[in-house]
Amino acid sequence: MGRSALEENKVGHSSDGVTDDALIMRPAGLLSVFGAFLNIGLCGFGGGLVWAHRVVVGRRRWLSEQEFAELLSLAQFMPGPNIASLTVCIGARLRGLPGALVALAGFIVIPWMIGFGLGVLLLRHADNVVLANTLTGVSAAAAGLMIGTGLRLLLPHRTRPIALMFAALALALAVFAKWPLLAVLLALTPLSIATAAYQGGRAP
Amino acid sequence: MSEPAATVSLTVHLGVLSLLSFGGIPTVLPDLRDFVVATNGWVSDRDFANFFAVVQSVPGPNMILMMSFIGWKVGGLAGAIACALATFGPSCTVVFVIHGLWDRFRAAPWQRIVRRGLAPVTIGLVIAGGIAMAGASTTGWPTLVVTAAAMALVLGTRLSPLWALIAGGAFGALDLL
Repeated sequence: MGRSALEENKVGHSSDGVTDDALIMRPAGLLSVFGAFLNIGLCGFGGGLVWAHRVVVGRRRWLSEQEFAELLSLAQFMPGPNIASLTVCIGARLRGLPGALVALAGFIVIPWMIGFGLGVLLLRHADNVVLANTLTGVSAAAAGLMIGTGLRLLLPHRTRPIALMFAALALALAVFAKWPLLAVLLALTPLSIATAAYQGGRAP
Repeated sequence: MSEPAATVSLTVHLGVLSLLSFGGIPTVLPDLRDFVVATNGWVSDRDFANFFAVVQSVPGPNMILMMSFIGWKVGGLAGAIACALATFGPSCTVVFVIHGLWDRFRAAPWQRIVRRGLAPVTIGLVIAGGIAMAGASTTGWPTLVVTAAAMALVLGTRLSPLWALIAGGAFGALDLL
């Protein structure tokens, strides 16, 4: 991540990614798209979201925070594994159909082989205490990484109390009321979009 | 129980579920469990829970791996590969088409508003996912410390998240958690 604090600030204060694209977009070659998503797939313990954000926004600077959040929203709504949907959206945004195919291949083929092999091994040794304890530690860390990534995505919205309120509401419905993801999306996004429309109408 | 008919039936069922799984694969897990455990008896309840736990702790696409393990149990390696393809193939095709439509209207004023409205809810759900994972993996305050430290690493440093995963695994292996 070589982004300067100043630049981060600039990105952070915009209300929408569109105007910032020229500032931070880097051209993406197909080979490097494949490599990036291979990296994301291989490191993606507990889901690839943490790594997708780190690689695509942080290290390669292919997308702004806002664009990443936008594609993530799209992926959450759509059918199928969310992270695979996100991979297709990012690949398509960067390089169209070839980009989507290459990103998906990078994300799935080799990581699947490794994950499947490791998984079979783990299932055979499910009663090994050291192994089980190690995995407990890994998933505790993975959980923290995911919470931290979510908070980072929230940073650009910190000046909008209403946005923070909707994020808190979504969190509460999912964690405490245990609503499924789609129910939370369907209940909150109409309200959240209506609020954004109302505010957008008044904003200069 | 590696009969081809069962593999085909499972693969087709997964393909359909994948297309219907608006909001992600976890939304159809209860239905899938009914189909493979209760209706067909291909995997036991314990297997199902084990698969879920294992895919959280290996790298790679975890829901696709979850389906692959079910396929593996029913139809061996061929079953595993067929089920993996069924899980993401149909849905990713739909996603690509929808993204194309969405992208076409990127500059439209309504889409800027929709984007602004969607983002906070999406982000709240990401944090919720992390909290749910922390809840599932916690065995007391030491695991919560690991979770908090990993969170701080992402927020406050530019270190690779890999360090958090390695440290967490090492503490676990040394039986400190």
